[in-house]
Amino acid sequence: MIGILSLSAVALLLIGLLLFLLRRSEATLSSDLSPLGSDDELSNAYESFEACCGELLDRMFGPDDWDFVLNCAPKQVQRLFLSERKELARYWLCQVRSRAKTAMRIHVAHARNSDKLEPFLELRLAIDYLMVRAKCELVAAVLSLRGPMALRKMIKQADGLSDQLTALLALVSKADALPSHTRVRR
Amino acid sequence: MLEPSEQPSPIIVEEALRDLRNRTLARLDGDFAKLVYLASTRDYNTGRYVHDGLSFRFSEPIVERALAAAHREVFASLAVSPLRTFVAQVEQYIRSGCARPDELVTTWNSSEAYRVLAPAADHPLTVRLFMSNVKVALAIVKATLVEHPRSQDPQSSLQLPSPGR
Repeated sequence: MIGILSLSAVALLLIGLLLFLLRRSEATLSSDLSPLGSDDELSNAYESFEACCGELLDRMFGPDDWDFVLNCAPKQVQRLFLSERKELARYWLCQVRSRAKTAMRIHVAHARNSDKLEPFLELRLAIDYLMVRAKCELVAAVLSLRGPMALRKMIKQADGLSDQLTALLALVSKADALPSHTRVRR
Repeated sequence: MLEPSEQPSPIIVEEALRDLRNRTLARLDGDFAKLVYLASTRDYNTGRYVHDGLSFRFSEPIVERALAAAHREVFASLAVSPLRTFVAQVEQYIRSGCARPDELVTTWNSSEAYRVLAPAADHPLTVRLFMSNVKVALAIVKATLVEHPRSQDPQSSLQLPSPGR
């Protein structure tokens, strides 16, 4: 009986925490609405993001560099390498989060002034945004608990996160009917 | 740094780039030395690239374009190269470019002179990866220098560039 009660308490606590995080995320999103983000900001967000991913992520989280350090460098350098890669992974995650947030901020600003909203597109955008955020939290949790080298087993997750963000940015650009030069080519 | 109205012809920029590769960069030993050289042609106050040799044959905007392109090219190739290759390049630069390699490693670690090596407009994550790899490479080279110190030819140190020179 005590076990069930404590499990329920933990479950309630987790639900409460989740609701708090969701509300906080929404509050941050709406507080970020002014000044209005520009289309150029969105365009720059995905152009620079697309340019950096793929090869760079392979290099950062792939096994080659760690295997080299593990075989050729003393323990002290191995520790330095791990701490450097952890910092890089944190920075990358921060970029993904901030770009997703910028995209949504710009989209919400556009949507407020639009009289032709498509409910399904809006729903898909919201789900995609939440998925990107959730995946970011998952990668951040793995990074904190198991270190940067655990991410090499999650390279597909990391790549998937980039793809998901690119898709989100493309969807935002479609929803906001941006000029053709700012759209994502996929 | 160029105004949009004064865009130089891509063909002439390509010619200047070829000239730069064949006459200047080809003499430098390794990509890291090339990067250090190219970064040193940039004025830290204005961000403009200057090259006296190229300026004899080409106009200022063309020289600037060619140097910036070469800088981005060498940087991009080094930044995403495997750490093994990166460390080899840094070690080659340190061993051939300085009479006292240990002194160079210590100075670079304390002053972080390598921070000026990245082109201005490059992607922040690529720049961070590069800086991080330099730190790790310096630590590996330092450990190697303790194990296998090699004698240096003092003359060679006069031929390679250094950041800020």
